[in-house]
Amino acid sequence: MKALCWEGINDVRVQDVPDPQLLNDQDMILKVRLSTVCGSDLHLLTGHIPFMQAGDVIGHEFMGEVVEVGPGVTRHRPGDRVVVCSFIACGRCWYCRNELYSLCDNTNTNPAITQHLWGADPGGIFGYSHAMGGFRGSHAEYVRVPFADHTAIPIPEAVDDMSALFTSDSAATGWMGADLGGVKQGDVVAVWGAGAVGQMAARAAQLLGAERVLLIDRFDYRLRQAESVFGVETINYAETSVGDALLEATGGRGPDVCIEAVGCEAHSTGPQYVYDQVKSKLKLETDRPIAVREAIYNCRKGGSVFVLGVFTGVVDKFPLGALMNKGLTVRGAQQHGQRYIPMLLDRIASGDLATNHLATHVMPLSEGARGYELFKKKEDECVRSVFRL
Amino acid sequence: MNTAGKAFLAAGVVTVAAVARRRRRTPAVQQADRWLVVTVNRSPDDVQSSLPDDLARWRDQIEISIRPATGDKGTELRAKPAGEVSHDDVRLALRKAKAVLEAGEVIQPDTAPTHPGPMGKVLQRVTSRAGGGGRL
Ligand SMILES: NC(=O)c1ccc[n+]([C@@H]2O[C@H](COP(=O)([O-])OP(=O)(O)OC[C@H]3O[C@@H](n4cnc5c(N)ncnc54)[C@H](O)[C@@H]3O)[C@@H](O)[C@H]2O)c1
Ligand SMILES: [Zn+2]
Ligand SMILES: [Zn+2]
Repeated sequence: MKALCWEGINDVRVQDVPDPQLLNDQDMILKVRLSTVCGSDLHLLTGHIPFMQAGDVIGHEFMGEVVEVGPGVTRHRPGDRVVVCSFIACGRCWYCRNELYSLCDNTNTNPAITQHLWGADPGGIFGYSHAMGGFRGSHAEYVRVPFADHTAIPIPEAVDDMSALFTSDSAATGWMGADLGGVKQGDVVAVWGAGAVGQMAARAAQLLGAERVLLIDRFDYRLRQAESVFGVETINYAETSVGDALLEATGGRGPDVCIEAVGCEAHSTGPQYVYDQVKSKLKLETDRPIAVREAIYNCRKGGSVFVLGVFTGVVDKFPLGALMNKGLTVRGAQQHGQRYIPMLLDRIASGDLATNHLATHVMPLSEGARGYELFKKKEDECVRSVFRL
Repeated sequence: MNTAGKAFLAAGVVTVAAVARRRRRTPAVQQADRWLVVTVNRSPDDVQSSLPDDLARWRDQIEISIRPATGDKGTELRAKPAGEVSHDDVRLALRKAKAVLEAGEVIQPDTAPTHPGPMGKVLQRVTSRAGGGGRL
């Protein structure tokens, strides 16, 4: 079958790879219909996550049709239309039972790598390096879905393929940021990053009762999109001081909840950008935590910061003083999709939540390399490239 | 490769080395007295009565202890190598036993790519044993 493979830094190509097989009783094989690029893939492309092998199939946000199920699968049948969570979950370990699905104890086949890096191993994820299990990704005609009963979710009749696609990863991630960030009725919420994840976090904050939601980015086309689809307020950090704008918007207090949806390759107009680039040249930091610093600095006293952006190693100039002296709560997580996807699908069906505007560029898999180029360089007003199989 | 890529590649190599170092440690010297432990999200009775083959087959070469975990987290399944068996084998057996007890089976890795490249080859060597290494 055809699949889009990581072949090296900034090099992805469509290749012929063997069809997936059922390897466990609880596996199923999915015929992929739609699979989208994600900001997390950019960290693979740039080499921030060095646990890749040439020929690895990438992609982790997807939906499709079940074609084959193992004898241990009870909830899905061939022909079913399902969305698959980017994180693979066994559904029965302590973490899964406590709805912390991305921390599943039983789905990372290479636990030693992350145990040494981070002290413990999170769960496995599709197409996201051998540190996270080495599972083949979804930019392919077919994909094996382990623990299918717990990893795939049926799509209700009323939800179209494209809308369902984004519940797999970006919408669930955004919702988690607002939910576990503790957004309450009447809050002011600031979100850094107007990609799919940031937009979904902003919408989730609104639906959880936030009175004002401010979305921060430098790409006007993304800010305008979120303004028109969700009615959020926006700040272009290339034109305005984010701190001043947030103080003005919050009566001098700062946002109650700050959600970071940018990640380890954050950009900045200020001198800290150069600083972080020099640091990484000297191998003194692996990630650029620019938006995290800004979120912590601007959050109100006693407020909460949620880190959705992916980080891989160590950072420098982490504002520990602000965190401690302002009494902040800082949390982060890989997404616990299984906890939110059914609810998100219901909200899409009822018209509460729009997601399909994120698919600005829909193309066949054969154009995968172009899709990543557009997404990476934010060209032609790209929010997400989606591959139709 | 960009600088960040190189920096993290270095981090990757350090991790790889740590995994390898861990494996070389002779159990008798550093870790003889330490239990290797996993917490299984099942009751102590369930664990006692259905100890999976992965662990049961070492029975005569390891000490096993089973006790309730704190805070309703299930059961602490502990093992200590007593014979020739290595810490890595016991670690892997514990992890597999936990997976079988909790999820009914051990998830199999997908097949690796056929042309992994130089760094990929190093990685393949690590992942071939990364199921058994680790910090248990
Ligand atoms: N936690 C999870 O489970 C999870 C899941 C999916 C994605 N992610 C992560 O979320 C992040 C966003 O993903 P995406 O798909 O929306 O990516 P994206 O690349 O489409 O969007 C990121 C946005 O951040 C903006 N940005 C860069 N620097 C900024 C700064 N200093 N201040 C404000 N905005 C800034 C960029 O202009 C861009 O619009 C990535 O790091 C991705 O890895 C995490
Ligand atoms: Zn993602
Ligand atoms: Zn689990």
